[in-house]
Amino acid sequence: MLLSDILVYGLMNGAVYAMLAIGFSLIFGSARIINLAHTAFFMLASYAVFYFGSNLGLSPFLSIPVSIILVVLIGVFVYYVFMEPIREHETAVLIVTVAIALVFQEAVLIIFGGHYRGVSSIISGYISPFGIRISYQYLLTLGVVSLALLTVWLLLMKTRLGIAIRSSAQDREVANLMGMNVARIAAATMAISVALAAVAGVMVAPLYTLEPHMWLNPLVLVLAIVILGGLGSVKGSFIGAMILAFIEVTVVFLLPGGAFLKVAIALAIMLVILIVRPEGLFGVYLEGER
Amino acid sequence: MNLIRIALRYIRNEILVLPTRVIAILFVIGLLVLPLLTQDMYILRILAIAAIFAIYAASWDLLSGFVGQVSFGHALFFGVAAYTTALLNLRFGISPILTIPIGALASVLVGLLVGIPCLRLKGPYLGLATLAFPIMLMGIIFIFPGFFGGELGISGITRLAAARLNEYYIAVVFMLILCFVMWKITDSKVGIIFHAIREDEIAVRASGINTIKYKLFAFCLSGFFAGLAGGLYTHFLRIAGPSMLAVLMSFQAIIWTIFGGVATIYGAVTGVFILFPTLEILRTFSDYRMLIFALIVLLVLRLMPQGITVFVRDKLERECPRCKVRNVFTRKECRVCYSSMK
Amino acid sequence: MKGKYYLLLTLVATLVLLLGLVGCTPAADDTAPPVNGEEEEPGPEFDGEIKIAVTGPMTNIQGEMMWWGATMAMEEINEAGGVAVGDEKYSIRLIQVETDEIMDPLGAVSAVENVIVSEDPDFLIGGFRTEAVTPYTDLVARDYQKIFLICGAATNELLQGRVDEDYETWKYLFRVTPIRSTDLVRVTMLMLHEVAMAVREELGIAAPKVAILAEALEWNEALVQGAPAVYFPQLGLEHVGTFRPSATASDVTTELRGIEASGAHIIYTIMSGPVGIPFGKQWGELEIPACPVGINVEAQKSGYFPATDGFGDYDYTLNTFALNANITDQTIPFMTKFMDKYGQVPNYNADTYTAVYLLKEAVERAGTMDTDAVIVEMEKTDRVGPAGRIVFDEIHDVIWGPGYVTAVGIQWQEGDLVACWPYEWRPDPQNAPDLVVGFDGVVPYQIPPHVLRQWRGE
Repeated sequence: MLLSDILVYGLMNGAVYAMLAIGFSLIFGSARIINLAHTAFFMLASYAVFYFGSNLGLSPFLSIPVSIILVVLIGVFVYYVFMEPIREHETAVLIVTVAIALVFQEAVLIIFGGHYRGVSSIISGYISPFGIRISYQYLLTLGVVSLALLTVWLLLMKTRLGIAIRSSAQDREVANLMGMNVARIAAATMAISVALAAVAGVMVAPLYTLEPHMWLNPLVLVLAIVILGGLGSVKGSFIGAMILAFIEVTVVFLLPGGAFLKVAIALAIMLVILIVRPEGLFGVYLEGER
Repeated sequence: MNLIRIALRYIRNEILVLPTRVIAILFVIGLLVLPLLTQDMYILRILAIAAIFAIYAASWDLLSGFVGQVSFGHALFFGVAAYTTALLNLRFGISPILTIPIGALASVLVGLLVGIPCLRLKGPYLGLATLAFPIMLMGIIFIFPGFFGGELGISGITRLAAARLNEYYIAVVFMLILCFVMWKITDSKVGIIFHAIREDEIAVRASGINTIKYKLFAFCLSGFFAGLAGGLYTHFLRIAGPSMLAVLMSFQAIIWTIFGGVATIYGAVTGVFILFPTLEILRTFSDYRMLIFALIVLLVLRLMPQGITVFVRDKLERECPRCKVRNVFTRKECRVCYSSMK
Repeated sequence: MKGKYYLLLTLVATLVLLLGLVGCTPAADDTAPPVNGEEEEPGPEFDGEIKIAVTGPMTNIQGEMMWWGATMAMEEINEAGGVAVGDEKYSIRLIQVETDEIMDPLGAVSAVENVIVSEDPDFLIGGFRTEAVTPYTDLVARDYQKIFLICGAATNELLQGRVDEDYETWKYLFRVTPIRSTDLVRVTMLMLHEVAMAVREELGIAAPKVAILAEALEWNEALVQGAPAVYFPQLGLEHVGTFRPSATASDVTTELRGIEASGAHIIYTIMSGPVGIPFGKQWGELEIPACPVGINVEAQKSGYFPATDGFGDYDYTLNTFALNANITDQTIPFMTKFMDKYGQVPNYNADTYTAVYLLKEAVERAGTMDTDAVIVEMEKTDRVGPAGRIVFDEIHDVIWGPGYVTAVGIQWQEGDLVACWPYEWRPDPQNAPDLVVGFDGVVPYQIPPHVLRQWRGE
């Protein structure tokens, strides 16, 4: 009973976290950018689908792709204009990403106001397999997220671009020496990374409450996951996401009065793991760099 | 008489020759004489808070800019000192003269507690791991709301001084002294080791220097200064609240320092004294305030990624290729060794 | 060279954007608060003006409500000839103070000091987030000795422990809305009792089980500890669990699953934060078989129904006003006018409306703007406003109880917000069995249909 609850809810939350974390990890691997605006793209996508779907009344089949494309375009634009040119100044890039996230947040705040918004589910209702209620939207999200993760995995493993991304993640200098256009690979990675965040954003928009600061909490989690799994490792991000999601769900079920501690406890466990393995579970050790 | 002559000569030969030093001296004098020009409570408040935040930002620069131990959770030191100070003052009625140093010592202790487990972590791993500490502490504050006041914070604290003017001078003088001390530390032998650890830790260790000791020292030192800032801020505002531990608080230190110029100390001070009042001036735009602020930060860093002070310094001054002494950009030959500045 | 060109382009684009934004500012202000108080010049018929600063998170709904409520009162008063101060006629001018206190509570103090120094307002009203209100009321009372009417923070300690312990320092503070948090608790317990009675009658359960779902914030701490220990046994309820999500959680399915597994018939909710929306939505969509009752600040707003996609129907929360409850003669006219003007149901923050009137009348009675004289008159306040009869107790807090401000319980019933409490409420059955409180238009509480269906079906 309790075990099946933990399994089902852990898997559902883990899938969404994995989406966000993998995107973050990809761009760090490829361009060595800690993109703190990553979850802000997630927020933008949620608002885009709210705008196109609920305000303009477009059907989900139209509003979802339009939102994703729009957010990816914004992402690539931002990358070319603000991040690429100052990539060598790592600290400056870090703050630039914070500033970008703030710009998005404030723009959304001005356009949509600070009200809490909701987006209608694509299919409403729920099923209850083993006595656990799961809404269709959650199942759909799980399906789409799995599909997206599979696509990215195939892309990374089987295509030339994927190999290039992975090799530049492993060693940027050598990849450059082998004749790869590292800058262009980084831009492509940025597009994939933002697309992942956008897909997560449009899918969970009906599950979450939209508000302009909704990027902050997931950001902390994503950072914890990525660190736990090892920076730059897609596999690590996936496993890290699952671990943190299961910890969170377990905390809620075993310690309902302390449910608000779930993030703090997840972070504490991340720290313990880090002390044992300073490069995360599957991290590439960045000794030679800088 | 002789003394005055020496002082004058020093001013002429060491300060007036370099525009950045002139700016720095003008800034210091300006801060000290400002109350003669205006006693506006609001202006004094903003500048006093800016001075306190300057200590906080500079302490981040000391740890992250110089030693390269990038911390994303610097609010931990600020918050721990703030809460310690507030609790001591409220529960035991201890005066600010004692609570602020004790608060800073508590931050030193926390610096050790954080520093030891983090010794093995590097670069982004360290940064993101430190992010976790203030969030966990915030969890503790919410577990014991009776003691820590939960989201209400702890209020009813003694004020820093009886009048705003005194508070202003306390904050400003503290800032000038502490930032000067930090600047001197980075210029000392220890400072050189700090630099070296950031550039190549293995090489430093290979030279027979115990880097662990120095890194821990840096954590404690930075915690101490951040703690002093936290204590001053708490007594100035008469409240210690959980938002002092928020992610935003940690990031503010990073934003200010990088905006001003990292690994300089004066960059952190400049960053705070530009950005903090800017955010206040932008209140006239009410809803657009944060947007304009973020755009300013974005644009300035896009154009001057090394930070505003470094950018300005490199425009105004040039380093002599032979003796490494700085000269005004107008000079054709070095002011010390007279070699050509080409 | 190419890099420089891009740079220039970006710079120009951003500058244009910036200028555009600056240019848009007044236009945007026009759409948000339709009448901007600062544009109101004192007409020739006025001898001076009373400046009232409204401090709140103006980008958020709470601040908007404060501003709108105060604006409505200001317009009414100025149109009716202003405020009589002795022999002179003064107009009222409102000053908007964006404190941004939800995001940056400690920075809010600077915003308040800024307005005091630059505009020198005569009075201040507003305040929402306790972590911000605590330091800035401190500033206003201690450093500037100005009257501040709290219109949004419920924490007892803003007045208790201040006005009673050091009257001279803190006499400047009053609370107009909402009632203090301990009184909020009393009202929710009365509402809980009503729900429990409905559960007993309609589901035939003698001792209903209650799960508590409370956001993890300090203001409800006493409640979370005290309710199951003290109140639940009195009401004949069984406590089956306490769940404490964060106030900003965007997903409470796990908590809801825990509540369902505990077998609860009633969910006692205490939520002031955004978590109220995912709660309503997920509770409805997953058809969790338990009746929610308590405080859900989000459910007090018109936007709640669309935001939860209609799934938040039948949520039952405490509020200050209700559209169908004739609390006083003023309630329905006030609400209708407010909704016509601003298109939103006013929430408790909008009772800045009453706060402005309280100030007007206190000044008129005092015949002077002198702070101490106005405080003396403020303490004598006895005024019927939209939320009830406002009288202050000895710590300057608004008195709760039958015949004073009682608050109401409102339920979403098929998309409409209707009042369900006080419905034939007997405040003191022992001593005064004939005293029955109830307002015209209040309808009985309804158990959510899906809850009814599931418990009857089993």
